[in-house]
Amino acid sequence: MKSFALELLKRGAVGCGFGPIVLAIVYWVLQETAGVLTLTVNEVCIGIVSLTALAFIAGGMNAVYKIERLPLVWAILIHGCVLYLSYLATYLVNGWLELGTAPILIFSAIFVVGFFAIWAVIYFVTRKKTAELNDFLKKKQLNYPFDK
Amino acid sequence: MKFKLIIDKDREEEIIAVVHATCPLTEQIEDLVNCFSGTDHLIGHKDEEMRKLEFSKIECITVIDRRVIAIDTKGEQYCLKDRLRDLEEILPSYFIRINKSALANERRIERFNAVFSGGVDAVFFCGYREYVSRRCFAQIKRRYDKI
Repeated sequence: MKSFALELLKRGAVGCGFGPIVLAIVYWVLQETAGVLTLTVNEVCIGIVSLTALAFIAGGMNAVYKIERLPLVWAILIHGCVLYLSYLATYLVNGWLELGTAPILIFSAIFVVGFFAIWAVIYFVTRKKTAELNDFLKKKQLNYPFDK
Repeated sequence: MKFKLIIDKDREEEIIAVVHATCPLTEQIEDLVNCFSGTDHLIGHKDEEMRKLEFSKIECITVIDRRVIAIDTKGEQYCLKDRLRDLEEILPSYFIRINKSALANERRIERFNAVFSGGVDAVFFCGYREYVSRRCFAQIKRRYDKI
């Protein structure tokens, strides 16, 4: 648990640096697509603080994959849930998502679809790699008939 | 490949093979040397019984309840006195690490099995299963890629 916390802090600290960069990209996209040309000091401050916190969580939560005993699906699930809540909070705090049932449902649906798509890709890639490994294993074991 | 035999009574006896990669020949040499020098087995304990476990008859060595356990070809479990880290140094090269607390006899792995959780299990001929960590899975894959 101690090593997990240290890993989380280390990865989170690295991730923090990307927060303001991501925020700059978001502001640029808002300017180009939603015509946002001015921002108040308050909006900028909230943006910087919330995106830095989000980047810390996004970076730090990767540490969950370092827990060997934790099956991958649980690691992805924990990672996915924490990211979902963090993203949702960030979007709402910054006013990028309207506080209403429909916008939150759409946001959640997109997030869930993305989450399962990633999980499916990982599962099928693992299956393919496992099949390759089994081929190598069988070839190698053919050299040791005396063990069977 | 060349064979070179040096007879020198003043030097310590050792067999060194210079190869590009491990192959059946190197592993057989390793087996022969271990057998000849009497280091081809471990001592396992079960209840009051003490048994000599040949390396080739051990399928997996794992940590269960903080005890180092060897599982043989019949699925029997024997307690070992050594630490896993020390065992890794004395075991032949066909014992591979499959997770932080398990070593597997590569020759006794029936197959690797992708499980629904997204992980991978090593299934042994005796029926025992042990999970393969993502880090070790990558290491095993790299090891096979060299072949």
